[in-house]
Amino acid sequence: MHLGNIAAIIRKEVLDLIRDRRSMMSMLVVPVVVFPLIFSGMTRLMPKLEQSAEDDLREMGIAARISNPAAREALDGLGLKITEPDDLKAAVEKKAAAAAVEEVPGTPPEFRIYVDESAPVSTAGGNRIREALTALREQKIREGLHKSAIDVSVLSPFTVKETNIAGSRKMAGALWGSMLGYLLLLLMFTGGMYPIMDMTAGEKERKTMEALLVAPVERREIVIGKTLTAMLSILVTAGLTLTSMVISFKNAGTGSRSEEGQRLQAMMGTIPLDAGAVTLLALTLLPLAVFAASAMFAIALKARSFKEAQTYLTPLMIVVIFPALLGGIPGLKITPALCLIPIFNASQIIRGILLGDLSMVNFGITLGANLLYAGIALFLATRMYEDENVLFRS
Amino acid sequence: MIQVQDLSKSFKGSKGGAFRAVDGVSFRVSAREVFGLLGPNGAGKTTTLRMLATLLRPSSGTATINGFDIGREPAKVRAQIGFLSGDMGTYARLSPREMLNFFGQLHGMNSATLAKRIEELFALLDMTSFADVRGDKLSTGMKQKAAIARSMLHDPPVLILDEPTAGLDVPTARVVEAAVLDAKHSGKCVVYSTHIMEEAEYLCDRIGVINGGKLRAEGTMEELRALTGKQRLREVFLDLLGLPSGRAA
Repeated sequence: MHLGNIAAIIRKEVLDLIRDRRSMMSMLVVPVVVFPLIFSGMTRLMPKLEQSAEDDLREMGIAARISNPAAREALDGLGLKITEPDDLKAAVEKKAAAAAVEEVPGTPPEFRIYVDESAPVSTAGGNRIREALTALREQKIREGLHKSAIDVSVLSPFTVKETNIAGSRKMAGALWGSMLGYLLLLLMFTGGMYPIMDMTAGEKERKTMEALLVAPVERREIVIGKTLTAMLSILVTAGLTLTSMVISFKNAGTGSRSEEGQRLQAMMGTIPLDAGAVTLLALTLLPLAVFAASAMFAIALKARSFKEAQTYLTPLMIVVIFPALLGGIPGLKITPALCLIPIFNASQIIRGILLGDLSMVNFGITLGANLLYAGIALFLATRMYEDENVLFRS
Repeated sequence: MIQVQDLSKSFKGSKGGAFRAVDGVSFRVSAREVFGLLGPNGAGKTTTLRMLATLLRPSSGTATINGFDIGREPAKVRAQIGFLSGDMGTYARLSPREMLNFFGQLHGMNSATLAKRIEELFALLDMTSFADVRGDKLSTGMKQKAAIARSMLHDPPVLILDEPTAGLDVPTARVVEAAVLDAKHSGKCVVYSTHIMEEAEYLCDRIGVINGGKLRAEGTMEELRALTGKQRLREVFLDLLGLPSGRAA
């Protein structure tokens, strides 16, 4: 095997790749443009949505049929327009009012709140009514206790407080681990898909394959050269995705003013990646990149045209999505046997790396299994490249 | 230079049976000789040439090119040949110069020799004006010239050309014909397949007519005329196929 031939093939394929708009779109546009746009859009959209719901609530107001003066006063205190239509439910349904409340006489009397949970403004209106009435109820209880000369502390014989012992890094790991592995694995396959189709079915379609096949080069040198180029594009996509996510998460946050939103923003901003984690990630992704490149190469080689290759490779994405998604589910325990399932194993290992509780036994088994799969896929790709029925299929 | 002995190739048919595309073909081609391989579509020309170029493995029979066996030493055979077919494409995103540099590296040529050879070919095939233009911007004729340059780049002793002038205009076809004659005069052995009878008559020293996978006849124009009693190659060709020529001999 001549390394010079492989190097020449890689140089040519990389030059070809850089000049191919479709490949560059799949490799660069999603990680570099789409991710930042999504997160920046999220930052701008969240507060706008919150403000919009608030504005709509002020404009629509609420509907109420209440005879209790204290309750009426509590609702007036909300500063919202209050109407009293005949049919309260219909008013909410027809969006004449954001939400409605009705007093049903009895002992004790009942306040029924009507909301349309499919509309955020209605949910917000219902929440405001509930908060006002809850505050009134608590005030009434306190007044009653005071009149009966009972200490208010009787309402709270003890308090309950929950403390999250997971540090911010671990919490960030849980958040990142559930999505990073899935996104990385999916984008690795999509990032390599177009370059591979171009180097296989695309070459057949453009009738440039024969010229390469009659050059004094071993078929395995061609396969290795092309696969390494595809692997390079896969790793570039993975690297760019990771970098783009880190930068986007760090800078974008959620933009929410709510406590939950602020907590999420803090977790996203804590990137659980250090040099050790990045090294382990690279070790996990490297054999998988060879496996992905070789497997897609072997499949796309069967196709006679770019379009046919797309038809063959698209179902593969579904095969990738399922185990990648499954591997990110919190609570799913990986065992040495499960480490043998490709893609799922990498997704779980990535999660473990980010959480900081990686089992080195599982990591070793995953690495070994994926190296074996990569070797088998590369061997099959080479065999197919030597098969004239595949190369000259018509 | 080329010795073909009882070469056959079968393909699997769509209904499981075997289809014999080439059936016991034998011929020899020497240095300083252009051997024309003529036949109707589907006769077995391209399959024969693809076997000689080591793209397809023979089902039976042998062939040697410059002493190397196509079955046992395919890499060495590939180093001896320049192969070109009419529908062979060029890289759309690479210029002719970039493409030739790539193939030169695969042929193990050093940078200085390669650069010199590329300039020689650009001059020979009148390619200087589009040497650095990307493949997708080239006309059909320009692409074919680039493909010819690629097949002659490593100065191989054997050229296997499968319909190299298909779809070309007359001036570009003349450049190809001139390059073939130039190769012949410089001592190369050329196998040339074409549908253009005038071209074959003009270029080829000997002609083989293949049909149904079998070589029906081969020889010089004089020998073929004597065999068929016809004068023009078109009539000789149709006669060997068992078809009426449409005019008196």
